[in-house]
Amino acid sequence: MKTFEEKWTAWVDGQLSGPELSEFEASLPDKAAAEAEKAGALKLGELLKGELSARTLTNEEFFSHQLRESVARLHETPGRQARETRSMWWTIPRLLWTGAASVAVFLVFTVLVMREKNPAEESQYLTQILNARVDPVVSPNATVSIFEVKQDRVTVLWTEGLQSLPADYAAK
Amino acid sequence: MQTEATPAQADVSELDLVRRCQTGDTEAFDELVTRYRTRVFSMIYNMVHSEQDAWDLAQDSFLKAWKSIKRFRGRSSFYTWIYRIVMNVTIDWLRKKHVKGAGTEFDDAIQLREVDPASKTVPKTEALPYETMERGEIRVRIDQAIAQLSSEQRAVILMKEIEGMQYHEIAETLGCSIGTVMSRLFYARKKLQTLLKDVYENI
Repeated sequence: MKTFEEKWTAWVDGQLSGPELSEFEASLPDKAAAEAEKAGALKLGELLKGELSARTLTNEEFFSHQLRESVARLHETPGRQARETRSMWWTIPRLLWTGAASVAVFLVFTVLVMREKNPAEESQYLTQILNARVDPVVSPNATVSIFEVKQDRVTVLWTEGLQSLPADYAAK
Repeated sequence: MQTEATPAQADVSELDLVRRCQTGDTEAFDELVTRYRTRVFSMIYNMVHSEQDAWDLAQDSFLKAWKSIKRFRGRSSFYTWIYRIVMNVTIDWLRKKHVKGAGTEFDDAIQLREVDPASKTVPKTEALPYETMERGEIRVRIDQAIAQLSSEQRAVILMKEIEGMQYHEIAETLGCSIGTVMSRLFYARKKLQTLLKDVYENI
């Protein structure tokens, strides 16, 4: 079921025919006024067509040129995006490798530093110091120390405050 | 609808151009642009009344057409398809920019209450002799009158009166029913007849 507006529009545009047309025209309260309206609508159409069709696009070639550039940029974009995506994916293994390498370098340096450090703290001469007190009655302040150079396999006997060499220490 | 090429050329090779576009042939697209650029620009200009905006929107429309041309199945004619994109872009822009006619955004429901379908289109201003009016003044009057229509009514009246499109083509372009097209056309004509009677009566 068409509304009044639809029927009117169809009537103005000459799209009504047969019984529909006669039925619609019979329903109009003032046919003369309606005909005047219709004529006005047609004149309006002519006016619009005459005035608005005249608008032309200046710089047509520049318009197309600008569009071609935009299309070309569109073509570049998917490739660039793919490359960017790919480089993003490569970053993760790269990060893992970098992390692993860093840990390895750190461990190597730690081992080296520890090796360097330990000898400094430790005397290079001594692993064992034998502090022996001689008989306190005979030599109350005497001490006997033995220094050993590990690399050179040299042992030094250091005595202090010894008043007499005990018989046990005598070289045989 | 006319194109910048002759109708015969358009009929014969338009589908071929579209098919080539779908394979990524930018030269074929360039040819289609050349055929429709002026009409597309003109249609948009009559909707937005700004040369710069019309230029940008026309560019945007063609770019969207290029992006989605692979989805064109040829069920409708190419110009109906491209006009659909043009109208979507333009009406969307008009809505976003809140371009209003006489300070109010039009809507069909409001108009049904405001306009008496049986009313006579009596001009509000005194009739002016056409000869005394400069062409520019007429153009301004028309632009002002069109600006008082909703974006959908503008689209309908321009496609009908300027492009000479059929109801079903307009409906397809705007994605609405033929009844809606006819109803919008009715109210758009009523409004414009009221505003421009003194102009067209004196032509």
